[in-house]
Amino acid sequence: MKLNRLAQVAIATAATAGLAVGLLSPANAAPKTTVQIVQSNALTGLNPSVSAMNLTFNTDVDYLEQVGFTYYNNKATLVDNTAFGTYKIVSKKPFKVQYTVNKGRLWSDGTPINGIDLLLTHITAAGTYSQIAGLGDPADSDVTPAFDSLGYGGLYEQHVVGLPILSPDKMSVTVEYGTQVPDWRLLAPGVFPVHALMMMAEGKNKLGTVAENNAARERFYKAFDTYNTASLKKMGAIWSKNYNINVVNASTNPLLLVGNGPFMIKSAVANGAVTMVRNPKYNSGPKVKSLQRVVFKVIGDGTAAAQALKNGEVDIYAGQPTADAVAQLKAMAPAVKVIGGDQAVYEHLDLRVGPAYGTTEPYNGPFAGDSQKAKDLRTAFLLAYPREEIMTKVIQPINATSQLMNSLMVFNSEPSYKNIIAKSGVSKFTAGTQASRTAQALALVKKHFPSAAAGSGSVKIKLLYGQPSNARRVAQAALAKAEWAKAGFDVDVTPTSGWSAFLEDPKYDAAFFAWVKSAAFQSGNVGTYETKANYQGYSNPVIDKIYKELGATPFTAAQIADRFTKVDAELIKDAVTLPVFQHPSANGVNAKLQGVAPSPFSPNLVWNLWDWSFTN
Amino acid sequence: MIAYISRRLGVLVVILFGSSFILYNLAAISGDPLGELRLSREPNAQQQIVALTRELNLDVPPPLRYFLWLRGILGVFVGNADFGLTRTQQPVINEILVALPITLRLVTAATIIAIILGISIGIVTALRQYSRFDYAMTFVAFLLYSLPIFWVAVLLKEYLAIQFNTFLSEPRISAQWLIGLSIASGVFWSAIISGTRKRVLLIFAGAATANFAFLSYLSITEWFANPSLGPIGIGVFSVGVAYGVTQLSTGIQNKAALHSSLTMAAIALVIYYPVQWLFEQDGEIIIYPLLVITLFLVAGFVPLKFSRIDRGPIIRTSIISAFIMGLLIVIDQLMQTWKPYMESDAVYFRPIPTIGQVNALLEPGNFWMSLLDALVHMFLPTLALLLISFAGYVRFSRGTLLEVLNQDYIRTARAKGLTERTVIMRHAFRNTMIPIATIMVVDFASIIGGAIITERIFGWLGMGTLFNTAINSMDLNLLMGVFLLTGFLAVSANLIADLLYSALDPRIRAGAGGN
Repeated sequence: MKLNRLAQVAIATAATAGLAVGLLSPANAAPKTTVQIVQSNALTGLNPSVSAMNLTFNTDVDYLEQVGFTYYNNKATLVDNTAFGTYKIVSKKPFKVQYTVNKGRLWSDGTPINGIDLLLTHITAAGTYSQIAGLGDPADSDVTPAFDSLGYGGLYEQHVVGLPILSPDKMSVTVEYGTQVPDWRLLAPGVFPVHALMMMAEGKNKLGTVAENNAARERFYKAFDTYNTASLKKMGAIWSKNYNINVVNASTNPLLLVGNGPFMIKSAVANGAVTMVRNPKYNSGPKVKSLQRVVFKVIGDGTAAAQALKNGEVDIYAGQPTADAVAQLKAMAPAVKVIGGDQAVYEHLDLRVGPAYGTTEPYNGPFAGDSQKAKDLRTAFLLAYPREEIMTKVIQPINATSQLMNSLMVFNSEPSYKNIIAKSGVSKFTAGTQASRTAQALALVKKHFPSAAAGSGSVKIKLLYGQPSNARRVAQAALAKAEWAKAGFDVDVTPTSGWSAFLEDPKYDAAFFAWVKSAAFQSGNVGTYETKANYQGYSNPVIDKIYKELGATPFTAAQIADRFTKVDAELIKDAVTLPVFQHPSANGVNAKLQGVAPSPFSPNLVWNLWDWSFTN
Repeated sequence: MIAYISRRLGVLVVILFGSSFILYNLAAISGDPLGELRLSREPNAQQQIVALTRELNLDVPPPLRYFLWLRGILGVFVGNADFGLTRTQQPVINEILVALPITLRLVTAATIIAIILGISIGIVTALRQYSRFDYAMTFVAFLLYSLPIFWVAVLLKEYLAIQFNTFLSEPRISAQWLIGLSIASGVFWSAIISGTRKRVLLIFAGAATANFAFLSYLSITEWFANPSLGPIGIGVFSVGVAYGVTQLSTGIQNKAALHSSLTMAAIALVIYYPVQWLFEQDGEIIIYPLLVITLFLVAGFVPLKFSRIDRGPIIRTSIISAFIMGLLIVIDQLMQTWKPYMESDAVYFRPIPTIGQVNALLEPGNFWMSLLDALVHMFLPTLALLLISFAGYVRFSRGTLLEVLNQDYIRTARAKGLTERTVIMRHAFRNTMIPIATIMVVDFASIIGGAIITERIFGWLGMGTLFNTAINSMDLNLLMGVFLLTGFLAVSANLIADLLYSALDPRIRAGAGGN
């Protein structure tokens, strides 16, 4: 009895204490589970494969909604998502690849995913299918095809043969390619809830039961297999139009929101915030560590975003890559940390050699042709380009770890970089100090213009570069102009608005801008310097041959590096172009947010959102 | 008159078409919609260029493409105007309809407050011409007038949002701030009231001390973390309102007006608790319009008890007082919502936001929470717009009133023996409002165009943002849609202003033939 009473007192005391602790401890004791991400432009649609919808925000949201066979990590390497499925080469000749979805993967409406869900990619990427099924020719310049997709005309269309074959258990799809595509791993089909598409094409606006969904999916397969134009056209209209919404609320057709990704859209305000919540059925990818909600906020202005970060209204902001903006973010420590990185975008200086492929206007400027004089002048121009000064004054204030790029083929972080630059002959443009290189350049100019001297302006050059609003480019141009003047060049550095339309214009002798790399193709950047592709009118049979090889046969890393070295060597020998830097990125991140590791490829920040978590 | 209006309308149409043609072509050649694709290394970049060219008719030269666009617009005459699609496949008209209310919410409040505040300060400065207050306000007006809004916005965010939020976690005002604010308040009041040196010093000391005591009280009770006016605050303020409104509306010597206003103050105090109970019945939005109607009915009938003659001005006075007292009760209720709002997960103890128009995380459904949320989001942008725009009204109304006060009819009015209040409020003020009314019309039209910079800095997605997006993404349909609306409003507001002027001021008649 006594013991009993004692126990009661003890329990009551403990309960009171517990209650008191619960009431007294501040409400914000638990780590946050909602992350708020800044986007600079509004959401415009849920299907970024539609040609007008390929915008960063749409792609990011879609990435969280749909998970497929592969994704890029922060090292720009393609990672296999084995939780979702596997793929393997089943036959080398003819070249066949089998894609298999793991059993038990679920859509957010509970329907199990199978191979049929992989087939829509064929419709939206193979123009041949579109033509045969009577959905329109994507290459036609007047009529939009039924599926207004931006996937047409790519690697898939170039290589695919016939229809993908569904396995008897419906879990796998086998695709045949005409040749052994070196980049076959990049061709993995995307996954799409075709049952939802089919049901919407049939006019439904409610989620179905699993049985109904399976039946709808079978109907899709039938339409796909038999080229049912009418049915496909209806689906095409839904796919191209109905997903293009910027408002999601209770009255939105839930079929539009079916996905297999870690998060699904809960609400979206027109031109405003988008809220995503956990998909309870998610099992198609890496486990989500702790986040429950993702909110994207639209803030166009960099200073505003930085201040919102400081005020705790947002947690992560891919800052403007300018020195001032980075300094502003850094000043917010310790509440905010700055995570720098490099984007898959690199700045370079291109010289015109002749008229661009396909244009008729001739180019007669000082750099034209293969003559010794033109080559000397080009070499001189590149020698006097103050790349190191640009790095230290313009780029390193943004990302202190940024380094001068010396290969046009690979980024500095790639394993083959050191070998390539050792053999490519780029040392010609790196040896000595800038002063000595400029002196060398002046000597080369003097060979052809005996009166040349520092500031003589013997050679008149017109430079094409970015919008006047891009302060970084203006700074680059000013630094370069001063150095070029020392080598006897008079460079017109007036910025041009709408500059990219003038890339083929022979009025300009040189241009600096950036190339965007969007996927890790085996052929890398070689294609950029192929005869038909470059805007400089440059044509080199050695490079053309290597480009063809790289596009046709899979090579080992060493073989690829070998070819890249050759291409670099040719470009340096002919003095047509020089790289400068990879565009830096600077992300302001709430210091309590862990796991952020920006990737150079889209979707840059959110690629590993599942690993993010907040500490206390 | 009809000839005059129709001629102006004709000119309006010509101006709109001419300027839209020029703008369309300028915008079309200002950038390269294919630019991004030209730099893309995707294997299907060529295909994407074809698709975009097809979508935007880029193969048609801009001067001709303008007419493709115009064809859709001219559909307005046959009843199906087509403003086209944006580059993101949304109908332009929808985008504008979404953006318009947001812009209105942002700019209307700021403009109205700027007008009221600007005109009142302008009038006081004119009446106290060449006083300390006049000089001080002239200085402040020019100072604010010359500030760039992006800079003002950054400062406001830093001090009134970021640091204020931090302050709220421990809402004690530090000693430096207490002293500083008290001195500032002393200077302010002594400058306004003016007088002999001794009087100024007395007022300075009085205001500073009162302010010091008041702020200390707020600080010690941590009022900022859990604010409210309470019945005492409501009572004190209501009596103040009763006296103030009566003085401006009819003059304090009108005992009937004063008594009915004071009765309204008493009623406000009496209904305080019942109204609190009503407010807690959340979700029944229907009661709010009913409350407002009851308020006006009561305010309309109470004066009948106090006077049998000349009831009009008295009813007016009582209604204005009642309205302001009602606002006080609403403010009190919002203050009571402050604490739960601040503690909600969505706000996380940082209630003053720097961006956006609503908190996306706040659960909808609670009327007072949502209202407070909307208001705190409006706070900084409205303040920023207000600060830089009210100066213009101060200067304008001061100048106009001074000019009016020199008119013969003012001297006549004084000579008749009218009280100073009547001379100012009835004879001078009304005539001052004529030119101000016309600039207000033009102002309202131009604010629809959106405050591009303000919207951008505060992350509001209204007309200005739409315009900005359209330019940056080379979205000609959207750009022209926004331009047509703002251009139309600007041109027609000028017309309305001209007509309004002649309607308000019989001395001016805009007749046909341009006389």
